[in-house]
Amino acid sequence: MANALRRIMLSEVPTIAIDLVEIEVNSTVLNDEFIAHRLGLIPLVSDRAMDMRFSRDCDACDGDGQCVHCSVEFQLSVRCDEDQTVDVTSADLISSDPMVVPVDVALAAARTEGFDSAENKGIIIVKLRRGQELRLRAIARKGIGKDHAKWSPAATVTYMYEPDIYINEDMMGSLTLEEKISWVESSPTKVFDIDPDTHQVKVVDAEAYTYDDEVIKKAEAMGKPGLVEITGREDSFIFTVESTGAVKASQIVINAIEVLKQKLDAVRLSEDTVEADEQFGELGAHMRGG
Amino acid sequence: MEHGTKDVKSSTFCLTDEDHTLANAVRFTLNQDPRVDFCGYSIPHPSDAQVNIRVQTTGAHAGEVLKDALQSLTAMCQHVRSTFDGAVEEYQLENPPVESMETEECLPKKR
Repeated sequence: MANALRRIMLSEVPTIAIDLVEIEVNSTVLNDEFIAHRLGLIPLVSDRAMDMRFSRDCDACDGDGQCVHCSVEFQLSVRCDEDQTVDVTSADLISSDPMVVPVDVALAAARTEGFDSAENKGIIIVKLRRGQELRLRAIARKGIGKDHAKWSPAATVTYMYEPDIYINEDMMGSLTLEEKISWVESSPTKVFDIDPDTHQVKVVDAEAYTYDDEVIKKAEAMGKPGLVEITGREDSFIFTVESTGAVKASQIVINAIEVLKQKLDAVRLSEDTVEADEQFGELGAHMRGG
Repeated sequence: MEHGTKDVKSSTFCLTDEDHTLANAVRFTLNQDPRVDFCGYSIPHPSDAQVNIRVQTTGAHAGEVLKDALQSLTAMCQHVRSTFDGAVEEYQLENPPVESMETEECLPKKR
């Protein structure tokens, strides 16, 4: 189930991304499809996504995917009339829904003070020189990472077994302070530390352990095999979720569980409907054949 | 979509629009059920969105056993959800959101 959650977070938790672009004027150096692709990759705040409809399932707009239930419209119009180059950024996108805006714009709005406008102007889409213009209308839709990676809410998702670390205190007590220090430092990540008063070795961050076995090898090299025993707990996982900003990392986990539940319900409730055999022809033939 | 012989003890279930995400989790739960004799899944072709789940039981109705597995997976989801919610709440009590930090707390609160 841990892997199911990981897979869902990467590819089946919905977000909102620009999916359709109608270009009115484009005299920039980039071609239309290049700009459309760049627009698609801009992360949009997608807290609304779970309640939105997929445009293919939306009956309010006859499947053209352009109604309030399944889409958000953006307008962009920038023209350069000066000698300096003008950057067209995500901040120039004007949304029809204040809840669905580019992630970096929302972040800038949340930060009231100490926000350096020169440093953070948004995600650059294209640069204009004098006389160039970009004017377009974009439709953002709900989608999932399985269809296109631009809809994936997560940058990385990993999980590991929670380590169980057992230090043999008797054996540890037989080490000198120098030996303890060199043993503690043999771990590439800071898992162990020495108490400055009692000189006792203790676990400071079990989650930092990467199952590299370095401390175990070190103990063996010191002639103390069995100094420490580390096992992975089979029933406990540590997830690391890195969000693109479209959905909060903690919300991605919650949404993933919700999606998995929907999947299970879909299978359970449709299970009795035996559909036409042709659809499963190969399997059916196989079953009949033997 | 059930494909079985006359024997209710063993069936192959064919799910469309699903993949390893669901099938592996279901297989895992089915294998923990003592009534299950054998269980496995396969994806006949990677280009087709289709999985076959084979269930053979020691006597119970295979379809019922599958339904029970789905039910217990749903319960597992619920458990993870409530544990997670509790842990987040606890964390936020201990570590109130810091305004100036560049963390997820900075994302829009007002809408």
